Amino acid sequence: MTSLKRSAEGDTFGSNISNKTYVRSTRSGKVQKIVREVYLRTDIPCSSKLCKACLQSAPRNAANEVQPFVLSEKPAGTKSFPQGHYLMPDTNALLNAMDLFEQSSSFYDVIILQTVLEELQNRSLPLYNRLLGLTKSEDKRFYVFFNDFRQETFVNRDPDETVNDRNDRAVRQALKWYGQHLAQTKAKNIPAVVMLSDDQENLRKAKAEGLHAASLRQYVETLEDSDKLLDMVADVQSSGGFKKPGQMLYPEHFTTSRMMTGVKAGLMHQGIFNVSPYNYLEGSIKVPAFPKALLVLGRENINRAVDGDLVVVEVLPQDQWKEPSTKIIEEEAITKNEGADAEESQDLVSEKERKALQEEVKKTHKVKSEGGPQPTAKVVGIIKRNWRQYVGHIDPSSASKGSTQGRRMDNVFLIPMDKKIPKIRLRTRQASELMGKRLLVAIDAWERDSRHPTGHFIRSLGELETKAAETEALLLEWDVQYRPFPKTVLDCLPSEGHGWKVPASTDDPGWRDREDLRNLLICSIDPPGCQDIDDALHARKLPNGNFEVGVHIADVSHFVKPANAMDTEASIRGTTVYLVDKRIDMLPPLLGTDLCSLKPYVERYAFSVLWELNDNADIVNVRFTKSVIASREAFSYEQAQLRIDDASQQDDLTNGMRMLLMLSKKLKQKRMDAGALSLSSPEVKVQTESETSGPIDVKTKALLDTNSLVEEFMLFANISVAAKIYEAFPQTAILRRHAAPPKTNFDELSNQLKVKRGLELRSDSSKAVADSLDECVDPKEPFFNTLVRIMATRCMMSAEYFCSGTQSYPEFRHYGLASEIYTHFTSPIRRYADLVAHRQLAAAINYEAVHPTVRSRGRLEAVCKNINVRHRNAQMAGRASIAYYVGQALKGQVAEEDAFVMKIFSNGFVVLVPRFGIEGLIRLRDLAEPEPDSEFDAENYTLKTKGSREVTVELFQKVRVRVHDEKDEMTGKRGVKMELTSA
Amino acid sequence: MPLDTSTYSLALLRVDGRRWNELRRLHAQIRTQAAADGSSYLEMGHTKVMCVLTGPAEQNQSQRRGQTSGGGGSARDTASINVNVIIAGFSSVDRKKRGRNDKRTQELEITIAKTFSSIVHTHLFPHSSISISLHVLSSDGSLLAALLNAATLALIDAGIPMSDYIAACTAGSTSSHSASDDSADPLLDLNTQEEQELPYLTVATLGSSDRIAVLNCESRLQVSRLEGMLVVGVDGCKQVKQILDRVIREKGVQMIREGAVDRSDTMVMDLDE
Repeated sequence: MTSLKRSAEGDTFGSNISNKTYVRSTRSGKVQKIVREVYLRTDIPCSSKLCKACLQSAPRNAANEVQPFVLSEKPAGTKSFPQGHYLMPDTNALLNAMDLFEQSSSFYDVIILQTVLEELQNRSLPLYNRLLGLTKSEDKRFYVFFNDFRQETFVNRDPDETVNDRNDRAVRQALKWYGQHLAQTKAKNIPAVVMLSDDQENLRKAKAEGLHAASLRQYVETLEDSDKLLDMVADVQSSGGFKKPGQMLYPEHFTTSRMMTGVKAGLMHQGIFNVSPYNYLEGSIKVPAFPKALLVLGRENINRAVDGDLVVVEVLPQDQWKEPSTKIIEEEAITKNEGADAEESQDLVSEKERKALQEEVKKTHKVKSEGGPQPTAKVVGIIKRNWRQYVGHIDPSSASKGSTQGRRMDNVFLIPMDKKIPKIRLRTRQASELMGKRLLVAIDAWERDSRHPTGHFIRSLGELETKAAETEALLLEWDVQYRPFPKTVLDCLPSEGHGWKVPASTDDPGWRDREDLRNLLICSIDPPGCQDIDDALHARKLPNGNFEVGVHIADVSHFVKPANAMDTEASIRGTTVYLVDKRIDMLPPLLGTDLCSLKPYVERYAFSVLWELNDNADIVNVRFTKSVIASREAFSYEQAQLRIDDASQQDDLTNGMRMLLMLSKKLKQKRMDAGALSLSSPEVKVQTESETSGPIDVKTKALLDTNSLVEEFMLFANISVAAKIYEAFPQTAILRRHAAPPKTNFDELSNQLKVKRGLELRSDSSKAVADSLDECVDPKEPFFNTLVRIMATRCMMSAEYFCSGTQSYPEFRHYGLASEIYTHFTSPIRRYADLVAHRQLAAAINYEAVHPTVRSRGRLEAVCKNINVRHRNAQMAGRASIAYYVGQALKGQVAEEDAFVMKIFSNGFVVLVPRFGIEGLIRLRDLAEPEPDSEFDAENYTLKTKGSREVTVELFQKVRVRVHDEKDEMTGKRGVKMELTSA
Repeated sequence: MPLDTSTYSLALLRVDGRRWNELRRLHAQIRTQAAADGSSYLEMGHTKVMCVLTGPAEQNQSQRRGQTSGGGGSARDTASINVNVIIAGFSSVDRKKRGRNDKRTQELEITIAKTFSSIVHTHLFPHSSISISLHVLSSDGSLLAALLNAATLALIDAGIPMSDYIAACTAGSTSSHSASDDSADPLLDLNTQEEQELPYLTVATLGSSDRIAVLNCESRLQVSRLEGMLVVGVDGCKQVKQILDRVIREKGVQMIREGAVDRSDTMVMDLDE
C-alpha cells in the first residue's frame, strides 16, 4: 500500500513554510477557524540606505523596478542617541499618540512592523489609514517591515502565550534583528533602533535583552521641543495600576455580544446619538423601530455618549418617560465653576443640574393633557465612537491661577466650539500660553470615573478672534480640506498653463465629435465678480416659429480624467466651499477660474444641452453634445436685468435674453403648478471693504428676474440630463433626490399656526404644502410669510445624491422641485457630482467609452456618500463664516432691530432678526435682574413674566431687540447678544 | 485578522509572503491508490485534491445511451471521458453541503471533461469510457487549476496516450477592477483570500508550449491588464509542467529500481544517478 504521507527530505521548502492559524467570528455569530500559509523568506530588505547587502537582493515588481530604500543613512540624533536612531513603535504607542508621529519637527525614520500594522488595523481602522498615509509620504520616511514574512524575525506563538505577548515578542525579535543587521553594514555611525512602547512589561523585557527601548514619554522628553510635544502624549494609564479606583460616576457599558443579542431581540435599539442644540443634557436617537425619536435625558442616561456616536439604547420604564425639555440648558452656565482638578470630590450630578432635572419632572406631571410624556431611553453601550478632532478654547476659569509662571502640569477644560460636544479635560504644561488661543484637540477616552472626557492637545491655530485662526477653526470644524493642492494633482494640469487655447485647427483630436457653436450669441449671467463661470446660455428663434435654447456648461471632464490624482482629490473635496472672504476650490484655480471657466470673448470647450421649445415652453426636441463656444458677454444679474429692461437695446443678444426670460417664466409657472416649493432661508450678504477686508455692512440678498432666469434653465438642464443618464445607466446613474418629509415633521409647525393664527398647514403633498404656505400671510406683516417658510424649510428632509440602482424609481422624486428625476449637471467646476454626471452623459451619447469608475456601483455609492457629507459641511461652513462676519460687523455697534419669535422655552425664547439673518436666544435672566418669575403656557406658546419685569411673549410675535456684541469674560467667546427692548 | 491584499504596494509582498511571480509550494504524488487504473494526489498550497481514474473500460448501459458529461465525438468511435468532482464538506472554512446538482461543481466537471477530450487520444479506445473521479479535500484557491493538474497526473499514471501534459495555474492582478491604478502588478497562483478580493483567471497550457487549452475568467477586469496576467499565467503553467514532469520521472525511476516494471530498451533514463 502506498502511503500518502509526505517524504520529509524531498521537501525543499520545508523550513520556510509556516502556518498561521486564527479563529474569527462572523457577523452572524459563526466561529470560523482559518489556516493560512506563510512563506518565510530572506529577501525582505531592511530598507536602510546604509545597507548594501539588502539593496542587491531587493525585490522588483513586474515592471522590474526596485522600491527605493526609505530610511535615511544619517537619521537625526537625540540626547540619548547621538549617533542617530531609527524608531520602532509598538502598537500601543501608535494607538495612543498617532498625532505625535504626524509631527513635522521630529519622528522621522520610523520602522513600522507588520505585526504592529495588523494589530492596529484590528484595533482602529481610522488610525490604520492615517498610518498608511504616513508610509506613503516621502519626507516622513516611514518603512513597513514585513517581519512575519522574514525567516529570522518570524515568531511562532507558544502554546500558553497570549496573542499580545506573542506580538510583543515579535517586536522585540525584529528590534534585535535590526540591531544585528545594521551592525553588519560596518558604517561609521550605526544608528540605534529604538522601540517605543507604553507597555511596561514589554519595555522591561526589551531592556533585559539589552535592546534600546523607551516609553513615549521618556523618549519625547529627550527631544528638543519636548514641552510642546509632551502635551500630545495621550494621558494613558501608563502610571496606572496603583491609582485608586475612585468613585464610578457612570454605569458600565454592556459587552458587544450582549448589545447585539439585545438589538436582535428587539429589546435594545441602535442608532446615531444626537444632542439637542439647546440643551446639552438632552439627546435624541432615531431608531428604525419607532416613528419618533427616543429621548435620552440627563448625564447618567447619556452615559458618555458624544454627539454622532453610534450607540445602543434601552427604553426606560414608563414612569420615567418625560416631555422634551422646554428649557434652555447651557453647559457653560451650569458647570461654570467646576474645577478641572477637583474631579473626584463631586457627584455625577451637580446641585444645579439636579435642580434643573427636578423642574423637568414637575413639568411632566403638570402637563399631562396634550402629547404627554415621550418615551425616554438610556444609553447602554457605544458601538462606534464618532470622535474627530475638535476645535475650542481653554476655559480660563478652569486653569489655576498659579499656572502662569511655572511649567507645572495642569488640568484645564477645553470648551469646544460645537455646543453639542461636552467640555474636554486636558493635561498640559503650557496652560498659560494656550490661554486665549484657538486650539485643536482630540478626545482620548472617557472613563467611568471621569465626569468629562479626557483629551490631548494637537496644535494651536492662533489667537482667538483673529481672522486666520477663526477661519481655519471653522474649516477644521466642518472637515473642509483646505490644504494647497499637492504636486501630484498639479501635474495633471495641461502643460500650457494659462496659455492653453482651444486648438485652431478643427482636425485636432480635441475637436473630435465636438460641434462648432462659436457663431451662436451666447452669454453668461452670474453674481457680480464671479470668476468660476460654469454656465452660459443662448436662445434664438427658429424658422418654424419654435425657439432653440442652449445651456452650455464648462467641459471640466475634458481636463479632469477619471481616476487620476486630480480626480481623486476632487472626489475627496467633493465641492468648492464659499466663505465670506475666501473660496476653497475643488479643482486647482487654473482650471476653475481660467481654462474651464466660460469667460467672455474667448473660445472654450463646453458640454451643451440644446432644446427646441415651442411657445408654451414644451420640449419639442432635446439633444446633448460636446461643443466649442465663444461667450459674447459675462453679465452680472443687475447688468442683465438693466439691459433687458432697456427698450432701446434691440440687438440680437438682448433679444435672445428676453426670449430666455419669457420662456423661463413659463417654465417656472409650470413648475409651481406641479407643486414645487418656494422655500426660504435667511440669506444675507456681507459686504467687505476690499483693502482691509473688514466687514462694513450686512445686506439681505435681493432677487431679480434674471436670477430666476438662470435658475430655471439650470433646473431644466438638470432634469433633461437626469432622464438621459438614467436611460443609459439604469443601475449606476448619479442622481439627486429629495424625499418627502414624514408627516410628523410638520406636526408642531401646523399646530403652532393653528393655535396662534388660525391657519392651516396641509402637508399631504408638496402641492398642498406650497399652496397652504402661500396662504400663510399676515397683511400687517409681510415678513410673516417668509418666517413661516423658513420654519417650514427646517421641517424638510435634506436632498441627497444617490446611485440609481439603490432606489426604486418612485423614490427618485425631488420633493422640493416637484420633479420625477433630478441630478446636478450644471456646476462641474464646483461640485464633483456634476463631473460624474458629465462623464456619464458623455458615455450616454457615445462620445467616449465608459470608464470603469463611472459605472462601478460600489464606488459610485461611496462617492455619493462622501459628497453628501461634504455638501452639507460646505453649507454649514459657509453659514458659520457669515455668522462670524456678522458678529464682526456688529463689533462695537449697537443696533435696534425688528425681530420675530421663533421658539419659546419656559425660561427664554429664540428670535430671528431678518436684517442680519441671525437667531438669538433671550433668556429670562437677561430680561431683568433678578430673574423674573414666569408662567409658561405650552399649549398656547405664550410666556408671561411677572415681578421685576412684566412682558408677554408669544410665538410669531414681532418684537424690538437691541443687538450688540459682547465678549463673555468667563469663556473668552465673542457672541451676538440680544436684549428685548419692547414686546 | 491579518492584512488584506491592499498592502501589496507597501513592500511588494502578498498576503502570504510571496512575491508577485511565485507559485505556492506544489507537491504531488502518483499511484497513490494501488487498486485504481491511475491515481494521483496534489497539493497547491493548502488546496489538496485527490484523483482516482478508472478506464479505459467498456461503457456500461447508462453511458451507452446518452453521454452525460462532456466527452466529444460520437459514442461509437471514441472513448468518452466522464468527470466527477466531489467537494468534501470539510474542505472550506464554512462547512457546506453541496448537492449532486451543484451548478459550480457541474461547471468544473464539464470544463475538465472537455479539456481532456481534446488532448487524450480517445479514438484509440472506441466503445469505452474513462472515468475521472476528483476529490477536493481542502480548498484554498486555484481549485480548477489543481483539479486539472491532478487529472493530468492520473491519466499519465494510467498510461492513457495523450498529446501532452495539461498544466494549469491562476493569474490575477494586484488591484481590483474599479481601483484603476496603472501600476498594478500581475499575480501568479492565487489563494482563496486573493481570489475573493482580486480579479483573476485560470489558464492551462498544453505542455510547456504557449498553446492555451483552458482560459476561464469570471471576474471583471480591465482589458489592459489581461495581457500581463496571461503572460504571467502561461509562465506559471510552464513551471507547473516542470514540477509535474519531475514527479512522473521520479516515480518512474523508483518503480524501475524496485523492479515493478521492466527496464525497456528505449528508456533513456539515467538510473545510476
